[in-house]
Amino acid sequence: MKNVIFGVVASLALTTAALADDMKLAVTTSFHNSGLAEILLPEIKADLDLDVQLLVVGTGQAIRLGEAGDVDAILVHSQKAEEKFLAGGNGTHRREIMYNDFVFIGPSADSAGVKDAENAAQALQRIAQAHASFVSRGDDSGTHKKELSLWKAADLDPAGFDDWYRAVGAGMGAALNTASGMEAYIMADRASWLNFGNKGGLELLFAGDPVLFNQYAYLPVNPEKHAHVKNDLALKLEAWLTSDRAKELINAYKIGGETLFVFNAKQ
Amino acid sequence: MQKPLFPLIAKQATVRRRGKVLVGPVDLTLGGQGTTIVIGPNGAGKTTLLKMLHGIERMNGGVLDWACPIEEAQRRQAFVFQTPIMMRRSVVDNLAYPLQLIGVARREARARAAHWADQINLGDALERSAMLLSGGERQKLALARALIREPDVLFLDEPCASLDGRATREIEEILLRAAATGTRLIMSTHNMGQAQRLADEVLFVLHGRIHEFSSAKTFFEGPQTAQADAFLRGDIVE
Repeated sequence: MKNVIFGVVASLALTTAALADDMKLAVTTSFHNSGLAEILLPEIKADLDLDVQLLVVGTGQAIRLGEAGDVDAILVHSQKAEEKFLAGGNGTHRREIMYNDFVFIGPSADSAGVKDAENAAQALQRIAQAHASFVSRGDDSGTHKKELSLWKAADLDPAGFDDWYRAVGAGMGAALNTASGMEAYIMADRASWLNFGNKGGLELLFAGDPVLFNQYAYLPVNPEKHAHVKNDLALKLEAWLTSDRAKELINAYKIGGETLFVFNAKQ
Repeated sequence: MQKPLFPLIAKQATVRRRGKVLVGPVDLTLGGQGTTIVIGPNGAGKTTLLKMLHGIERMNGGVLDWACPIEEAQRRQAFVFQTPIMMRRSVVDNLAYPLQLIGVARREARARAAHWADQINLGDALERSAMLLSGGERQKLALARALIREPDVLFLDEPCASLDGRATREIEEILLRAAATGTRLIMSTHNMGQAQRLADEVLFVLHGRIHEFSSAKTFFEGPQTAQADAFLRGDIVE
């Protein structure tokens, strides 16, 4: 596993100039897949002379890297897990940076009628009512956890679903591919959907319910627990991520003409 | 006066997935009366056929015409699946849910739900969590939840497949009452006794196609095809 992670670091690290500072930041796959990092990192380098090395992992793994002191800060999107992280003395604080959103994708014929649903709960109830094929990540990722919480909020329990509900145990791209092949419904983060190249007969059917918003937060690892972490650089990066410059770049980032992230850090 | 819903006319209706034909081409005219029982070997396409007729399985070819506009036709039908899905709510709230979706006021929805709970012998369990019901009770609840909107046609896919005799009897009684009050039933089953008890007409499905379609009397007394005859005798039909 370590090799895999550091392989990712090596491929993403920018060329390190001799005198530049560097720090390690654990981020989620969905953030990395969005492509925003490729916009922000060069700007950070230019403004702060700071090389941010990304470790691209799932939310759970990012939290564990932070707990172990293997990174200087984490940028993740699972508030419950973040609060637990802080309660365990692993981080100094939690700063909200921006949000993106989850969307419901499905066959364009939309036999379940998700398009006219009033909210996310009703959209899922309609899918369940029609026993329409639904692909679930089923991999305990932040996105999968989010999907499960939405079923729960809809008063439904996937444990009682039969074969129309397919938990594939795979990442977002693979799950979208499965959904495309089956013409099934699926929940995805907007960035992954927009970057997905095999849309086939699928289209975006439902979005906009505030419960689908996905808040990203930045948490510096606690230097009192791990004396070696570069807390000064972590704070420097936080100041940049919450600056007007970051706000401008994040809000302007688009794929296919669509805005992906909304900056909402309290400045 | 509402427009008639039937006849339902399918012309060359076909469902394909990943290049494989699951159902079709189907040419079929269903009239507005009675109970149609769909039978056939496992994998013949009974479930897909029902879902296609109900409009929740996308067709890759052909047409399906109801006698009224499609939006209206969709409002006037319901579907009961083999494995019902209960909401994590009480019995009465599960029953009231489809009414609330169509804008019936909460008080009236709950009153009608309570009435239906009585009809399915769950009148004493109104506030019980639906998650705690037995398999038979769940299926009765699913059936009542489908009938509470008074659909003109109800599709059922093997509703008694995993139920014991008592639950099956209760479900059949509810179905016979619904049929007697004019609800059109289109239902698949692998239980030939049940088919004979409920059917007015029989659709025999083989390899995704309608292999034989006739009145129940004709079908059970003298099937027209060798495959239907073999199936009725309990032979394996491939």
